[in-house]
Amino acid sequence: MVALLLPSLAFLLAFFIAPFVMVAFASLQDKTGAWSLANYARASSDLFYWRTLLLTFRISLWTTLVAFAIGYPLAYYITLVVKNRAIRRLFYIIVVTPLFTSSVVRSFGWMVLLGRRGLVNDALVASGLVDRPLPLMFSEAAVVIGLSYIMTPFMVLTVSSVLQNIDRSLAEAAEDLGASRLVTFLTVTFPLSLPGVIAGSLIVFTLSVSAYVTPSIMSGGKQVVMSMLIFQQYGSVFDFNFGATLAVALLVTTLILVAGYLLAIERRPRAGREVA
Amino acid sequence: MRRRFGVMTERLGLRIGRVALGGFGWIVLTYLALPLVVIIGVSVTTTAYLRFPPVGFTLKWYAQFLSDPSYLDAISTSAVLAVNATALALLLGVPTALVLARAHFRGEKGLAALFLSPLILPPIVMGAAILQYAGALGFARTYGAMLVGHTVIVIPYVVRTTLASLVGFETSLEEAARDLGDSGPGAFFRITLPIIKPGIIAGALFAVIISWINVELSMFNTTAHLMTIPVKLFNYIQYSVDPMIAAVSAATIYVAIVVVAILDVTVGIDRVAASNE
Repeated sequence: MVALLLPSLAFLLAFFIAPFVMVAFASLQDKTGAWSLANYARASSDLFYWRTLLLTFRISLWTTLVAFAIGYPLAYYITLVVKNRAIRRLFYIIVVTPLFTSSVVRSFGWMVLLGRRGLVNDALVASGLVDRPLPLMFSEAAVVIGLSYIMTPFMVLTVSSVLQNIDRSLAEAAEDLGASRLVTFLTVTFPLSLPGVIAGSLIVFTLSVSAYVTPSIMSGGKQVVMSMLIFQQYGSVFDFNFGATLAVALLVTTLILVAGYLLAIERRPRAGREVA
Repeated sequence: MRRRFGVMTERLGLRIGRVALGGFGWIVLTYLALPLVVIIGVSVTTTAYLRFPPVGFTLKWYAQFLSDPSYLDAISTSAVLAVNATALALLLGVPTALVLARAHFRGEKGLAALFLSPLILPPIVMGAAILQYAGALGFARTYGAMLVGHTVIVIPYVVRTTLASLVGFETSLEEAARDLGDSGPGAFFRITLPIIKPGIIAGALFAVIISWINVELSMFNTTAHLMTIPVKLFNYIQYSVDPMIAAVSAATIYVAIVVVAILDVTVGIDRVAASNE
């Protein structure tokens, strides 16, 4: 029976693992093919790459926070408050449809909304809050707005799949014992939903770190993130070795951050204690 | 008295909290739908520039892109790619999920993680890797390079949904069929397949859509003659925007709506969404 795994294993080995191994090797070679750490020396000695990496992580962190702030309450509402299945399905349809649309199209939508003559500026000017349209596009904030929009459905789906499986009798017991709804939420429901929050924030953060389309469109190329540098090396500079180095650097630093995040969570005293 | 007042304020607080949460929920839904609604809106404006709400109503922008062979070519390339990558992923992924759910052997968990790992590795790195690898083997920037890359990124969706449908599935049903004289393959097609069908359908739909909307992996391997529709859209939108490109974008939103509708009718969107971790 295990033999059934061979075709898929062979496929992944040939077209997934081998290409990645090749990138890792390429990052350790110079243009002549000789082994060398020159690419890494070049990337780490230039402050520009460090700044780009920092901007990439800062944008991803903001995106994760915004996606959590927007996504968690919606997930809670859909799974624990809405009782009607038809309405719940409607909610899920609206959450999933953007996910099934290319990030190009979704970012384009924000471009129209945030542009000088877009809906948001029209509303701001009409309400008298500002005299003339604000430059909302092409900034770091625009990238965060676009990316958090793209990422919110991931957060909603991950959190709601956990919320849905929480044993509701626990929250009911807390309320029977006199805890208010808010205290029940903070001491029972939220701590139990933490695995979903952790998984959701990891998905959102890692996807944001490597996002290319949304940062390109929302920043108009004015904010440079790591994925843009990688594509530049492969697509226009044609320095595959240095491109590979940047790709490996992005991958490794992301993994380090994720590992640090998971470690920090493990060490944390059990959630809810401090409230109770 | 004071106690009663306390209870009243708490009830009031509860009601306010619930209304606020509901209001917030609907606001978030509006926010999620708005960019898509805006694109559909500007795709029918009679003005030559983007205007939302649209001025008047026209389908001329749709007619314009549908009469441009380069868009039709890109759409057909994307569609064929999505279907082929999905077919390949089903062929490879469904047996994999069956083995992972049934057989128990050393390294089983590691193997499951391997099959799901394309989900978390950055598609941009994957695109670069496929380009470089295919370049070394002489098939860079070809349909084949895109097909293998797309297959790799959609396999996890098939494996995951099929695995999810097998959890809690009683192997005893299949064993009973065998005991009653039904041969292995017969038992599989009569018992197992119908049970995992929803998982396979959901996985296939996810796979089709993930391939259909992919930019990051495809853009490394596209050429002027080998172009997928999201990459073509992306190249255009970076330099200029007009109602015609909004019409092309809107067409891809209609595809998303249709696929979501199929998913809801065949499997139930709330079930898929809930199992989708």
